[in-house]
Formats: sequence, structure tokens, C-alpha cells
Amino acid sequence: MSRVAYNTLVTLARSFAGFTIGFAVAVGLGLLYTVSETTRGLVKALNTILQSISVLIWIVVFVMLFGVLSPLPPVLVAASVSLPIVLSSVVSGLESSSKRLAELAAVLEVPRSRYFLDFLLPSLAPSLAGASRAALGVALRISVVAEAFGASGGIGFMISNYYSLAEPEGVFGWGMLLVALMIALDKGVLEHLEVKASRWRVET
Amino acid sequence: MEGGDITLKARGIWKSFNGLTVLAGVSLSVRRGEVVAIVGPNGSGKTTLLRILAGLEAPDKGEVEARGVVKIVFQDNLLLPWKRLRENIALGLLYRRIPRREIARRVEWAARLLNFVEHLDKYPWEVSGGTARKAAIARVLVLDPDILLLDEPLAGLDVATRRSLMESLYNVAKREGKTVVVVDHNFEVVSEYSDRVYVLSHPPARIEAVIDLKSIPKSERLPALYRSLSSIASSRPQD
Repeated sequence: MSRVAYNTLVTLARSFAGFTIGFAVAVGLGLLYTVSETTRGLVKALNTILQSISVLIWIVVFVMLFGVLSPLPPVLVAASVSLPIVLSSVVSGLESSSKRLAELAAVLEVPRSRYFLDFLLPSLAPSLAGASRAALGVALRISVVAEAFGASGGIGFMISNYYSLAEPEGVFGWGMLLVALMIALDKGVLEHLEVKASRWRVET
Repeated sequence: MEGGDITLKARGIWKSFNGLTVLAGVSLSVRRGEVVAIVGPNGSGKTTLLRILAGLEAPDKGEVEARGVVKIVFQDNLLLPWKRLRENIALGLLYRRIPRREIARRVEWAARLLNFVEHLDKYPWEVSGGTARKAAIARVLVLDPDILLLDEPLAGLDVATRRSLMESLYNVAKREGKTVVVVDHNFEVVSEYSDRVYVLSHPPARIEAVIDLKSIPKSERLPALYRSLSSIASSRPQD
């Protein structure tokens, strides 16, 4: 495998892994949001706190915790930046739709667990798709920063490496690769997924 | 009205929101197989009363007694747009350990009863408002409720669809022995197909009149309803 392909795949894998963790935690917190007034308040407070934490803090904290050679910091940083984006979408979606859907679920005697999976989560699909598109883009952009701070391999690591060697061509080349990757991912995959997930919202 | 065939009875229902009394001691009773309409001015608490009858809201005072299963059909249908009508109608059956074949049978039955079987495989956003309303009613019908409450089922529908839907509801009551309670503003269709009409006054709403339509010739029903409503209009409190 070529060096370009290897480092591109490493960055993509870290970003996707981080995004997946952030997405799963956001959906889990969404479920918690629907449990009671107390958990709703907790999730809202947590969302506010998460929105206020700078990416730099996450990067420094994770590099300090796991070390520069660990593959974890870029993954966790990607998760940390994805989480508040997806969570905000989940919370605003639940706030606008949950009361009416809850009444429908009560009339149809839908079990609580199925209510979240079959009613609430699909109702959030269009806004979740939009948020995921934004979150994955941010995760990719930020995980390269974490790679530059401390990681082995990945586009961010290569940019940092060429910067240390004072080779602007390398910095520029890897930077362009990142931009091309972002555009290809957004236009080639994420945009289509968002349109598909939002199909019924457009039609209604 | 007394008797063993009463399936739904509300006694002295009071309800306030933010200090404003909406319902002030409303009582009504409905027999099995009856189609009963609740009409009244805007803001007279018709929907609130229906929600209390359905158990979705608790009254501040008074009580509701229902013999059998009560289900409500919401005014805004609340069909899940990511599911086809067939799946929407089956929703309430999926969690009851009912065999798939039986679910399919019940869905077809309800769609045939309400006359929209050809639309079952369409999404809610692909069908007319009338068909979507019928699907919302079918979703509740397949649960085999004894008492069916409908919040403005005729709103936003054209004349022909209003009539066909109300006729379907009438058939549900008379053929299937269900009790149907309808809140609606469409007096012409409501007066034609209802057995009785409860007329609510301006808020704080009381029962202003109960019109037994069965005892009135068809041609006289609408004028009788309008007479009752005009007496309310003339007694409207000054703002």
C-alpha cells in the first residue's frame, strides 16, 4: 500500500471511529433524555457544557492521558467534536416531536423501548443525517489536528512532519489531499445519504 | 339517560388551563353503537373534553367512566411518514404478539371498511388528506376499540370525502357495534349521520343543549342544530 493511501485510510478510520462513538453516545443520551424530567435536565446541562469545551482542550487532555504514540487521541477528539453536534440535533428534535409522538405511542400501547427505536429515532432521521454530515466533516478536520499534536501516521501527522522538515510542498500536498478527501466524502457520500434520509420530510 | 348499554359516561368534568376555566361541569353519556357529535364555538373545550374522555388529560374535577377500550384519533392524523399506510395501520398490533397473517387480515379489513384499500402500499405523503385521515382511523380500528373518539375528522376534506368518511364511521358504529364520538365543525354532515349532538356553550363551557337527532326528520336536523348554535352565539360573553 502506498504511503498516501495508508495515511489517508488511517485518518479516515480514526475519524469514522470517533464519529461512530460520538453518534452512539449522542443517541444514548437522547434515550436518557426521554426517561424523566431529571434525566432531561441532566442531558440538557451536559449538552450546554459539551458545547462550551474547546477542541484544543480535548486534544491536549487526550494526548496527556494516552501519550503521543497512542492511536486513541485522534479517535477520542473526533468523538468529542461529533458528540455535541449530533446531541444538539437529537435534543432539539426530541423537544419538537416527542410530546405528540408520545401520545400516539400511548394510544397504540407501544412499549417504552420500542417507542424510542420505532418512533422517536426514525422521526429524527432527517435532522440526524444533516447533523451527522456536519459532524463527520468536523471530525475529519479536527482529527488531523490531533494527529499533528501527537500520533503516528495519518494526514495530520504527515503535515506536521513536513512542517518540522521545513518542506512546504509536503505540507501543501497533504493539505490539498485533505481538502479533496473532504469534498469527495461530502459530495460523493454524505449529501446523498442526507437527501435519502430527508426524503419524506421534503415530500410532506 | 340511564341504562346498562351506556359505554361512556362523563360526570361534572371541570378543566382549567393557567387559571382559565375551559370546561365547567360537563356531563354526557353515550350508548353502545351510537354516533354522538360534540359541537360548539371555537375554544369551547371540545378537544380538551375529547382528550379527557380518552384519558390523555386528567380533569380537575369530575370523572369519566368507560366500559371497554377507548381510543382516540388525533386531528393531525400523526401518521409516521417513513412508513407505508399498511405499516402505519399495523403499528399498534406489532407489539401484541399477534401473528403476521392476522395483522395483515385486520389491516385489510379496516381499509375495506373505510374504502381505501388501493392506497395501502403508499406513503402518507403520497395520498390525499381524506385517505390519510381514513388510515389514521383504521390504525385505531384494528385495535378493536369499543369506543372511538375522533377529533375533527372532517376538517380539511372536500364535501364528497366528508360525507363518505362520516358514512364509514356510521357503518363502523352500526355494523360493528362501536361507539363513535365525533368533535367537528361540519354541522351539515355531522347532523346527517349522528344520533345525538351535544352542544357546548362558550367557555367556561357547559352542555348548552342535547339534540336527539334520531327523533327529528332528516330535513329538520340541520335547522335544529343551527337554532341551538345561534342561541349560543347570542349569549356570547362580551370581551
